[in-house]
Amino acid sequence: MALFRLPRRSRAAIAREVDAELEFHLAMRVGALTAGGLSADEARRQAVEEFGDLERTRAYCRAVDARTERAVRMVDRWAEWRQDVRYALRTPRRSPTFTVVSLLTLAVAIGANTAIFSVLRAVVLAPLPYGAPGALVQVSESRTQNPNEPQPMSPPNYVDVRTRQHTLADLGAFATSAFVTWTPEHADPVALSELVVTPSLFHVLQVPPLHGRTFATGEDTPGHDGEIVVSYGFWQRWLGGDTTIIGRPITLDGRAYTIVGIMPRGFTIVGSEEMWRPLDMSDDLAHAERTRKQHYLHAIGRLKAGVTPDAARADLIAVARRLEAEYPDANTALSAMVAPLHDAMIGSLRPALLLLQGAAALVLLIACANQANLTLSRALDRRRELAVRSALGAGRGRLVRQLVTESVVLAAAGGTLGIGLAALGARVLLALNPDSIPAMFSGGLDAGVLLFSVTLSIATGVGLGVVPGLVAAGGRLSEALKSGARGTSGRSAGHMGRALVVTQVALAVILLVGAGLLIRSFDALMRVRVGFAPDHVLTARLRASGQRYDSAAMVNRYYDGVLDAVARTPGVVAVGAIQLLPMEDHWTTAVRLEGQPVDEGRLPDAGFMTIRGEYFAAMRIPLLAGRTFDPSNRPADSNTVIINDAAAKRFFPKGDALGARIRIGPDPHGSWLTIIGVVGDVRDEALDVPAKPALFLNHRQNTWLSSLAIVIRTSGDPAFVVPALRRAVNAMDPTLAVRDVRPLDEVVASSLAPRRLALGLASSFAAVALLLAALGIYGVLAYTVAARTRELGVRLALGASPVGVLLLVVRQGTVWAALGLAIGVGGAIAFGRLLAGMLYGVGPMDAMTYGLVVLTVLAVVGIACLVPARRATRVDPLTCIRAE
Amino acid sequence: MARTPAELLQGTVDILILRALAWEPMHGYAISRWLDERSGGVLGVEGAALYQALHRIEHRGWVTASWGLSENNRKAKFYALTSAGRAQLRAESVVWKRYADAVFKVLSPA
Repeated sequence: MALFRLPRRSRAAIAREVDAELEFHLAMRVGALTAGGLSADEARRQAVEEFGDLERTRAYCRAVDARTERAVRMVDRWAEWRQDVRYALRTPRRSPTFTVVSLLTLAVAIGANTAIFSVLRAVVLAPLPYGAPGALVQVSESRTQNPNEPQPMSPPNYVDVRTRQHTLADLGAFATSAFVTWTPEHADPVALSELVVTPSLFHVLQVPPLHGRTFATGEDTPGHDGEIVVSYGFWQRWLGGDTTIIGRPITLDGRAYTIVGIMPRGFTIVGSEEMWRPLDMSDDLAHAERTRKQHYLHAIGRLKAGVTPDAARADLIAVARRLEAEYPDANTALSAMVAPLHDAMIGSLRPALLLLQGAAALVLLIACANQANLTLSRALDRRRELAVRSALGAGRGRLVRQLVTESVVLAAAGGTLGIGLAALGARVLLALNPDSIPAMFSGGLDAGVLLFSVTLSIATGVGLGVVPGLVAAGGRLSEALKSGARGTSGRSAGHMGRALVVTQVALAVILLVGAGLLIRSFDALMRVRVGFAPDHVLTARLRASGQRYDSAAMVNRYYDGVLDAVARTPGVVAVGAIQLLPMEDHWTTAVRLEGQPVDEGRLPDAGFMTIRGEYFAAMRIPLLAGRTFDPSNRPADSNTVIINDAAAKRFFPKGDALGARIRIGPDPHGSWLTIIGVVGDVRDEALDVPAKPALFLNHRQNTWLSSLAIVIRTSGDPAFVVPALRRAVNAMDPTLAVRDVRPLDEVVASSLAPRRLALGLASSFAAVALLLAALGIYGVLAYTVAARTRELGVRLALGASPVGVLLLVVRQGTVWAALGLAIGVGGAIAFGRLLAGMLYGVGPMDAMTYGLVVLTVLAVVGIACLVPARRATRVDPLTCIRAE
Repeated sequence: MARTPAELLQGTVDILILRALAWEPMHGYAISRWLDERSGGVLGVEGAALYQALHRIEHRGWVTASWGLSENNRKAKFYALTSAGRAQLRAESVVWKRYADAVFKVLSPA
C-alpha cells in the first residue's frame, strides 16, 4: 500500500493547493454573482467580502495541512517499518538455510563476546568491593636480586614501615593460617578457613560491618584477641543468619572467642576465608631480633589523597633503606614494593581475559563478514525485486532501510539466542574452572553486560544491513530489470564479496595460530615430567589444633596414629604427609653451605618442605642416593635433611652431597643439618616452572607446623579410602576435622585451570572461525557458479572438459584463500608476541603450528570449493543455451 | 460534554459539513451551496469558517480530500466522508438532537 500512496507534498505544494482551493471557491461564487447581473469587479468584491477573513483562513489551512502531512508521513513510515519487519519475519520461510546459518553464527559470536565480557567486566573492569578501591595498594617487601617478586613482610618491619612512612593514610596486614576447627553442637567438627588481621585492615579497606563491629585498635594486644568477625556466608550457613549471635561465645580450636561482627555479603580479602581474628603481634615484636626475619604478613595500604603509587613506592623504598642500615642482619638486600591492589589481585588474568575478548571480537568480525556476504548475495539475488520496487516508487533509502530492518531483526534474534548461550556458557566456565577466577569476582549477566550485548547485536544488525544494502542498491538498478535473468552482480558487489572472504580467512588464520600455539603449549605441559605420579593418590588436609597439641610429643602421636591407621587400611600402598602439596604454595629459605664463603646479600634460595611418613613412596618420587627419614623415630634422624636433585647439582656439583652439612634460614648461627639423601626433582611451583633446589625436613622434628596434607597412595580408586581416613582421624581425636579431600590429579589439574580455560575458549573460537570462513568461501563460490551458469554451460558445450571447469572454480576460491592465508599469517606473526607469556615449550613463531594451520585452512577451503565446483561441472549445456 | 460557545459553534459547522458529505463527496463550494439550500438560507456558513473546518476535520481523519474535476470542468478539491467521519456524524447527531430538544422544551410555553 505504501508504494501507491500520493507523492509527498512539500510546504510550497501545500500552499499552492490551499490557494487553488480557495480560488476555486471564489471563482464559483463570482460566476454565480455575475450570472445574477453584477459586474465582474463588483462580483469579485462581494465574493471576497462574503467569504470572511480570507488571509487568516489561507494561513490556517496551510498550517493544518502541514500538520496533516506530517502525521500521514509518520503513519506511512510506521506502516513501512511494519511491512519491513513482516517481510523480514517471512525470511525464515523463504530461505530456511540462510536463516539457520545466520542465526547460529550470530548467536555463537554474540554469545561468546557476551560471556567473556561478563567475566572481563567482573574481574578487570569492576572496582574491587572495597570503599574507594582506587587508592588501595599492595605493600610488600622484595629481595634486591628479585625486585619484581613481592614477598610478605615480617612483623617488626611492618610496624616500622607503618610508623615511618608518609604517603599512606594507613596500612593494614593479614596472615593466612591453615584452618581452625570448630565443633558445632550436635555435629561433626568443621574445618574453617580464617584470616588473622590487624584491626587497621578493616579501616584501610573501608568496609563497614553488616552487623556489630570490626576490631578496635588495641585488640591486637594480648587479652584483646578473643574476638572474631565472621563472614556473611558463614553466618548464613552455620549460624542461621541470626543477628542475636553478636556477643555470643564460639569455641575454635578449643579456645573461647566472642563473635563481635558480621561482614556484608561478598566481603573477602583472599577469596575463601570464613572468619577474621585479630593478629597478636606482641610476642613477635618482643622478639624482633628473631622475627624480623620471619616474613608472613601480607600488607594492604591506602594512599593519602593525591599520592600516586609511584610516590608511595619511593617513600617505602626510602624507609626500607633506613631499615636495611639499622638491621643489616635481617634486612640486607631487602627493598619495598607498592602495586595497585587490583593489579596485584588479578595478576595474569588481565592479559589472558583481554586476549580472549580480542579472540571473541575476531569471531564476531568473521561472523559479520560471513553474514554481510550472505546478505549481499541475497540482496543481489533480489536486485530484480528491488528494481521493481524502485520502479514503483520506493526510494533507494527505503531499500537500504528494508535490508537494515531484515538484518537488525536477524541480529536481534541471534543476539537473544547469544545471550542465552552466554548465560549458559558463563555458568559452565565458572563451574568448570573454579580455581581460575578468584571467588570474589562473581561474573554474571547483569544489566551492564546485557546492555553490552544488546548494543552489540543492534550495531551488528545495522552494519550488516547498511553496507550490503548500499552496495546492492548502488549502481543502476534499472540494469537488473533490463538484463532479465538472475541479477548480474555489480562490480562493487563482487569486490566486496571477495574482500569479505579474504578477511574471513585471514582472521580465521590468526585465531587458528593462536589456538594452535596454546594447544601445543598445553600438550608440552601434559608431557612434562612432574617428578611424581599424581594418579591413585588421595590427599586431604589435617591439623593438630587446640591447646592439647602444645607439645611435639602430642603432635607426633596424633600424626603417627592417623598415618598408621590409614596405612593398615586394605588397598593403601603408602602414606605420607607434607606441609604443602605440589602446586599449592611454595616456601623458600636461604641456604648456607658448610665450608663455603658466604655473601650475606646473595644467599642462595631453596624450596623448603617438611614431610612425614613415606611421603616419597606415596608420591613415587625416586630416591636417587642415600636414604629417607626412618619412619620409626631414630635419634640418628635429628638434624638431618634430604635434598632434591636440583639442589645436589647446584650446591654440590662434584656429587659429594651425601654427608655434607648445610644451614637454613636467615640465622647465621642455626644448627647444621646433615644431608642423608637425594631425591628426584618435583615441579612443585607450577607445571611450567622447572624444579628448583629444594630441601626436605623431617616433620617429626618440626612439629611447629600443626597442619599437614596427607598423601595416600592406593592400589584402586583413591575415593574408597576416604571413610577409612575419616575414621582414623576420628579415632585419634574426635574434635579434629578433615578438609580438602581430593585426588592428587585434581590438585594438579586445577593448577592448569586458567590455561585449560584459555585453551578451550581459544580452540572453540578458532574452530568456529574456520567453519565460518569455509561457509563464506562456499557461499561466495556457490553464488558465482550460479551466476555464471550460462557461461560455464557454453564453455562445456564448446568442449571444455569438466575437470577444466572444476579447476576453474577451485582456482578462484584458492586464490582468495591464499591471499587470506598470507594476510592471516602476517597478522598472526604480529599478534603472536601477545601470546608469548602464555606459551610453554613453543615459541610464538612455532613452524609446526603455522604449517598445520596452513594445511588445515587449505584442506577446509578445498572442500568448501569442491562442492560448488562439482556443481559447475554438472551444468547441462543444453538447458543453459535453451534458456538463453 | 462541557463546551465553550466558540467550540460549540465550531462543532456545529463540523457536523453540518459531515452531514452534507454523507450525501455524496463534494467540493467546498458545493458544500456551502448545499447547506444554504437545505436550511432555506438560514444556516449560511461563511467561506472562512467552512474551509477552516474542512481542513481541520481532514486532519482529524473524518474526511479525505482528493483533486477532481468540477461540474464546469475546473480542478476542484473534493472531500469524502471516511468511516471515522460517519461514526462521528452519528454520535454528534444524537448529542445535537438531545440538545435541540432540551432548548426547545425550555423555550416552549409551560
